Amino acid sequence: MSKFNVNRRDFLKGMGMAAGAAAVPGTLWSNPGWAASADRARELNILVWEGYNSPNVLDPFRTSFDTKVSAQNVISDPDAVNKLRAGETKVWDLVNLNNPWAREMLYPEGLIKPLDQDRFRPYFDRMLEEFKWPYKWAMSLDQKELLGMTQRFGPLSFVVNTDKISRATAEDQGFNLFMDPAMKGRYGMLTWANWNIYHMCITAGFTPFKEHTEAEFKEFEKVARYLFKNAKLLSDDHLMMNQALITGSIDAYFTGGTYSCSIARMDGFSNVRGITPKSGPINGKGGIVWIEVTSVVNNPQLSPRAEDFLEYVQRPDVSKQVAFAEGSHNPVTQLGMKEVRDAFSKEELDAIQYDSLEWELEHCADYDVNPDYDRMLEIYTQARREA
Amino acid sequence: MNAPGPSSLTQARIDDTGDAGTPPARERGLKALSTWARQPGFLLSLPALAVFIAGFIGPLALVVLYSVMPARSFGVDNLPTLENFVTIFQDSYYLSFAWSIGLALATTVILMLICWPVAYGLSRVFRRSMILTLLLVLPLFVSENVRLFGWVLTLLNHGILDGSLRTLFGWEVPELLYNVPVTILGMVYVYLPFMLFPMALGVSMIPESCREAAFDMGATRSQVFREVEIPLAMPGILIGALLTFVLVLGSISEAKILGGQSVIMIAHDIETAFTYAQNWPLGSALSTLLILLTGVLVIGLLSKLNLDKLLSRK
Repeated sequence: MSKFNVNRRDFLKGMGMAAGAAAVPGTLWSNPGWAASADRARELNILVWEGYNSPNVLDPFRTSFDTKVSAQNVISDPDAVNKLRAGETKVWDLVNLNNPWAREMLYPEGLIKPLDQDRFRPYFDRMLEEFKWPYKWAMSLDQKELLGMTQRFGPLSFVVNTDKISRATAEDQGFNLFMDPAMKGRYGMLTWANWNIYHMCITAGFTPFKEHTEAEFKEFEKVARYLFKNAKLLSDDHLMMNQALITGSIDAYFTGGTYSCSIARMDGFSNVRGITPKSGPINGKGGIVWIEVTSVVNNPQLSPRAEDFLEYVQRPDVSKQVAFAEGSHNPVTQLGMKEVRDAFSKEELDAIQYDSLEWELEHCADYDVNPDYDRMLEIYTQARREA
Repeated sequence: MNAPGPSSLTQARIDDTGDAGTPPARERGLKALSTWARQPGFLLSLPALAVFIAGFIGPLALVVLYSVMPARSFGVDNLPTLENFVTIFQDSYYLSFAWSIGLALATTVILMLICWPVAYGLSRVFRRSMILTLLLVLPLFVSENVRLFGWVLTLLNHGILDGSLRTLFGWEVPELLYNVPVTILGMVYVYLPFMLFPMALGVSMIPESCREAAFDMGATRSQVFREVEIPLAMPGILIGALLTFVLVLGSISEAKILGGQSVIMIAHDIETAFTYAQNWPLGSALSTLLILLTGVLVIGLLSKLNLDKLLSRK
């Protein structure tokens, strides 16, 4: 006779309990937040813009540090900031956003923590001249704390097909090019709403980085409605916009730059070019440059690998991988090092418009916060809907 | 002035107390409920019920709850307000709703016309041919966006169509992308199986004997179509129409990828509210209205259908 007297009911009960017991820890550990209590030295959670999640960048780090790295793409800067505000500081170890957020919001709100200056300051000496220590956007408002490391950056204004519109004409006319009646139906709009709003302000003749008057709001609305009404196509996909430019459907697109067109240039279409206007209303400048700052999140159980990763991406070979991640190719601040520059081929330097990079930086204002963004976005979405 | 007689409330109290010697109605009800709750069927359904509530009812309830929170708030612990709905009705969101409903109607009607002969062929002529069915089903296994980009490459300036015609005949095709007709083309293409298969099921419910009897009694082809085939296949037609309409109503990719945002669908406005605007309550209010619209349609139509009959082909 069997030693185990188990009937069908007992068997099912046992199986249910076993399944339950097995499922609970699985569920807990699969959540990055709960995983905080695990061995944090062997894992890293990063919230980053597209490119830093590339296997070319992450895989060598995973291997050399024997660390599990989870990366999530940022959809927009405000979205990432709100994630941290909503309590995800327990989840993430690093956050990579555009320049104003770290010093103006994340640090004052206690969402990120300062870096060890002795460890990271020397890296600034190897960066391009414009990014040397103490670089404004990497520092706290009082310039005392180091809040993050800079790497990718790029001018972002608009893109033209230089076979149809010469670079000189585009630079001279700036955003007024799109208000020219001759351009009706010949341009597209890359609908990255926050950037469109900045560029519409410049088109309307005032800086986006200040509080605006009622007259300026009216002018902004006029420009937004005109641009949407006369655009041939709208898309939030920069690859689709490049395709339309290459096939001749459009001759230019509103909002764009190295980030959006470098892939097409790398494919041999060097007639697709990001343009920085010669002049404009932001203290005489008509273009905007974004700079990414990667900061350590104020995570109560921070992974010790967070600062290791920041140091790792500063390495010349990794800097090149970051610059040439799939999806978008961009200049990096580490181009200040000869060995990084030498790692780029002539075609790769041409793809990121290295020939005009210094001139473009001189003619660009740094990306900043628009205090009237919410109201302008309402006007913008209404104009887009009613076009 | 009338003197108050024995009020209904008093009467209710009398009923509730019941006769002396029998337990009160409330107690009886509780006992029945407790007996029912201890039934194995109910107990066994609890895990599934919990998953259903947490995974389906929960998110919907959260969306509705967020819709009555103040604009740009990120929690549900504020005082409820209807300001988001006021904003929607005062602003021009009706345009996005109108475009979504209009395109959903147009796509549904076009698909009805296209799918009827195909469904008829599938059920009557080819007798549910495996190859034909596979050909129609296989695209469903490819991502919608990939299929739409296939269309973009086909219709693009210097794309497959334009390039081939230029090379072979020297013809130049005008710009085919970035307009409303091409958006509808994308919708018709993507949602065709959702209309076709329910309709084919509907057509297969028409007994051949009914058609023969109608012809024997002198009905014309058109009369048989209108008075025999359509009414008998109606459950399948309605389910197909409902599926197509609801799916197009919430669609976004066709208008974005093929249409170049020449129209803004309501799903696009919802996406903008949740992403660029970071206005979750406004996005939730728009979603709530869309869910309401869909719910009214689904409940209204399903109440007229006998699904058991359709699916069992009785």
